Amino acid sequence: MRNGAESVSALLEMRGIVRRFGDLCANDNIDLDVRPGEILGLLGENGSGKSTLMKVLFGMLTPDAGSINFRGRPLAGHTPAEAMAAGIAMIHQHFMLIDAMTVTENVMLGWPAAGRVLRAKDVAARVREASQRFGLDLDPDAQIAKLPLGRRQRVEILKAILREAELLILDEPTSNLAPAEVADLLTILRRLRAENKGIVFITHKLPEVLEVCDNVVVLRTGRVAGRAPVAGASQGQLAEMMIGRDVSTPRKIDTARPPGEPRLEVLGLSAPGLAPLTFEIRSGEILGVAGVDGNGQIELVETLTGLRPARAGQIALKGCDVTRSTVAARMRLGLAYMPADRAYTALVKTMSVAENLMLRDSRRPPYGRGPILTRASGAAKARALMADYDIRARDPNFIVARLSGGNQQKIVVARELDRGPAVLIAHQAAWGLDPGATRFVLDRMIALRDEGAAILYVSSELEEVLAISDRVAVMARGGFAGIVPRPDVDMRQIGLWMAGRAA
Amino acid sequence: MIEFLAATIRIATPLALAALGGILSERAGVFAVGLEGMMLAGAFAATVGAWASGEPAIGMLLALIGGAAIGLAVAIVAVRFRADNMVTGLAVNILSLGLTSYLMRIIAGGGRPVNIHLTPLAALPIPGLADIPVLGRLLFTHPPLTYVTALGCVALTLFLGRTQAGLTLRATGENPEAVFASGANPLIVRMLAVVSGGAIAGLGGAVLTLQQVGTFTDGMTSGRGYLALAALIVGRWTPWGAAAACLVFGAAEAFELRLQSFGVPVSSYIIQMVPYLIALAVLAGLGQSSKLPASIGQPLQREH
Amino acid sequence: MLQARRVRLKPSGLAGRILLALLLSVICAAALIALSGHDPLAAFAAIARGAAGSEHQIGASLNRSTPYLVAGVGVALCFRGGVINIGAEGQIAVGGAGAAATALAFSAAPAPIAIVAALLGGALAGAAWAGVATAIHLGRRVHEVLATLLLNFVALLLVQQLLAGPLGQFGAGFLQSPLMPRSTWLPRLPGFDAHPGFLIAVVAAAACSFVLWRTPFGFALRVAGSSRLAAAYAGFSLARLTWGAMLAAGALAGLAGGIEVLGVHRRLIEGFSLGFGFKAVTVALLGAMEPLAVVPAALFVGLLESGSLAMQRQIGVPSALVTVIEGLTMLFVLVATVARK
Repeated sequence: MRNGAESVSALLEMRGIVRRFGDLCANDNIDLDVRPGEILGLLGENGSGKSTLMKVLFGMLTPDAGSINFRGRPLAGHTPAEAMAAGIAMIHQHFMLIDAMTVTENVMLGWPAAGRVLRAKDVAARVREASQRFGLDLDPDAQIAKLPLGRRQRVEILKAILREAELLILDEPTSNLAPAEVADLLTILRRLRAENKGIVFITHKLPEVLEVCDNVVVLRTGRVAGRAPVAGASQGQLAEMMIGRDVSTPRKIDTARPPGEPRLEVLGLSAPGLAPLTFEIRSGEILGVAGVDGNGQIELVETLTGLRPARAGQIALKGCDVTRSTVAARMRLGLAYMPADRAYTALVKTMSVAENLMLRDSRRPPYGRGPILTRASGAAKARALMADYDIRARDPNFIVARLSGGNQQKIVVARELDRGPAVLIAHQAAWGLDPGATRFVLDRMIALRDEGAAILYVSSELEEVLAISDRVAVMARGGFAGIVPRPDVDMRQIGLWMAGRAA
Repeated sequence: MIEFLAATIRIATPLALAALGGILSERAGVFAVGLEGMMLAGAFAATVGAWASGEPAIGMLLALIGGAAIGLAVAIVAVRFRADNMVTGLAVNILSLGLTSYLMRIIAGGGRPVNIHLTPLAALPIPGLADIPVLGRLLFTHPPLTYVTALGCVALTLFLGRTQAGLTLRATGENPEAVFASGANPLIVRMLAVVSGGAIAGLGGAVLTLQQVGTFTDGMTSGRGYLALAALIVGRWTPWGAAAACLVFGAAEAFELRLQSFGVPVSSYIIQMVPYLIALAVLAGLGQSSKLPASIGQPLQREH
Repeated sequence: MLQARRVRLKPSGLAGRILLALLLSVICAAALIALSGHDPLAAFAAIARGAAGSEHQIGASLNRSTPYLVAGVGVALCFRGGVINIGAEGQIAVGGAGAAATALAFSAAPAPIAIVAALLGGALAGAAWAGVATAIHLGRRVHEVLATLLLNFVALLLVQQLLAGPLGQFGAGFLQSPLMPRSTWLPRLPGFDAHPGFLIAVVAAAACSFVLWRTPFGFALRVAGSSRLAAAYAGFSLARLTWGAMLAAGALAGLAGGIEVLGVHRRLIEGFSLGFGFKAVTVALLGAMEPLAVVPAALFVGLLESGSLAMQRQIGVPSALVTVIEGLTMLFVLVATVARK
């Protein structure tokens, strides 16, 4: 029996952790404690500093200041291998498993205790035993590729258990799980807690925090925004801590112009990772889609633009059914797309500014006519665009890889907007840009909207979405948790939607 | 019939050894297009080594070294410098072709190829087993390297399936990042796999010269390395599967030789196509193989 | 996937690295020559004399470079699109057979028509053979390297079969076709003894360069070779691009085969294309996959090979040295041109 709180030494003590990336302070003097037999929830939005803090703990990053104490011993300048040896296990969001191998083989990989000549039968027995004890329900001979994601995650947990980890860090563990699998995971975590393990549960989903965590620490923009025991906390409170009250005033409230005819209509659209969605966007309207990354945004955007096939449902562009149309066909009908992946999709970094500007329009004037590329008019057009959109490069032949992120994005903006599209889909359009470039992009969005385009603006940065949208939707678990007109936005409601509570 | 089967085994043996070497490389994630060059280097080294020293064993040792040297070239260019696997393999094949022909001619000093005539290694009957009627002659009366090949299949199967090192090698071909997370270095694993695979393939070349032809001629492998590559793919990257495929290819060639002597009116050229057509058919029939190591050919990312 | 670089924008960077690679392999070659007890400089001088010492020798060098150039340009085009086509050997062989068959069929026609028809026949045959590989690659998802490689062997055997059958010359003793009709012989420039194949090759290289840099198809190809994701985003069909590149490469390889048959041997002989396919890859790599740069690359290899026989005769250094230089150069160029990500 325990004597009292004081003699229960903390399993983990992090004090004053500071970590900067250039101008950005990802962790600003953070303290964190975990006791044995405690599940600590670490809550926060994208960019709040959760991942950085855990990478520091696990040895993947060194802090600029601060100290870590684990099981009474200091931990500094360590590598992930050393962290593992000390008893810390990290269960990544993207599993480090070999799909083609069995559970047993994955457990044995890199585990000296399995022997030089593998003692597969022994390990399998231990897998069965641990699986039984913690309710993991894993068959040692099952092939990873055939396991659903929830089970695969348990293999990672199993590895941690067998290697005798005392502290488990789970990074967004439920992001890819179905509701039933989530419930199973939480049960397993309770069993681990009963065995006196410490658990850090990193998430942005409130209901799970309230269900399984003992205490919660909320991070916002690199600082601790609040600490509370879960008992007695409400979702609303936590949502407020997560999002905060700083909502930048919207840049424009020009709703004088009523939206026109529907430009993009989506009916029951579903695909892997996308729940059936129904919505429409009208001419002269921006529908902003907020939400933590990984809730179906990329699936939505790529299905709408033709890069992924839809499983069911319909997409109509200016009244024409484009559900089965190619990327090129949708482009011809007036669909423009700014992908989130600037590095390999939206741009070809090894090519020049001019070539990137004509990436999707090489067959049409002024870039090409018939079987030939019209270089002179193409170059003139490139120069004009560079001036118009303030793309700072020496000349149109400059290689894009040497440009700044902001200038690279301006190329994408220039290319897609100059076409005068009927519908624009923008995904993370201002990601990684400095404030000046961000303002530039947002201004152009608004200008395009004023010219009558329909815009779907998808971003994980809530401030951006709130700044330019006419209506705001929140994406969670592959669907829209809710859609409201901008004037009716309630921050608390948005926070709850983002955290996974259905409308 | 016995002669036919014996010929099949004889033809298949060098292919199978080369295929074993290729399996090491491919399961670790590196395409084994350079098998032809490794075999050729091994054949050359074995011939010259056995001739110069008078000992076939020295020849075998040098064959391992010769094949490993070509493997090292592939390891450096394709794994360390992350160049394209396929083109690197082609390049070393060209290099090996030129180097072996060149060295063959400068050894004698006269610009003409050295005149080497080795007695092919005699068959070693295994005492007791070789006396079994029919099977004895077929399975247990072979020159030494043939037994080595069979043992090699057993050894490689055990290595890949039952040891930590083999597990790590297989994992590197599937998901190098997971290997890195588990504490091993995928770069080292791949390089070791390619070099040792090269050594074994070199020994396959030794089979050609020491056990069959008795001398070295320019480019004598004549595409066997590529056939071994096809065999290991058809055999789904397993030692026994590859060996079986090599036996099928060997049977096709043995059949063709027999046809020639019987004067059967089926074109020998068409028969010679059979191994390649079989390989293509199996590849096409299997489509995108699920057994292909998942990360094969993909360059390793720099460590985070 | 090979990272294609645009030579024009940074001529000093990429070309410099390739020249350095070349220099390195020449140094290694010098070491090998010294190993054999001969003087490297004398050996190189002999190569130069043998390659370009007289009009006749220059002509022979040009003839030698031609098939490497024509096929190499096609391979370069494929590589630019991210398609690794190593089937040039088989496509050249089949092309030669096609040209021979067409020439025999057009034996009554006057010279210009007969030559054009035969060369076209060769190109079509080569394209068809490349088409087979492409169909297997795209239709059954077999890696293009395996498909093209295995089909090389089948092609060589197929041509042997044809020479043993319909295209063969009875009672010849070895596998060869009857002599091609005089009207299909490529003329030889007086003194140089070079057939116009080299000019055709240069024109083909220029045409391919034009397509690569000045047409939407070439642009799409280059995008696909750099990033498949970007190509899909741009609306390009990767399947159509692969077909286009492979058929073009096959046609070029077939043309090379036809030129060899009509210009050099004046008949179809077995094994005439041995080694040409890999030389095409070498030359494409040396030329950094830029069709016009493949011209000097092919010339270099052709001169080297032409001169190597003289070197062997006069100095006593085995001509296999040239193959060593080719292999080493490829390896060094691969290291030099890997993209620094």
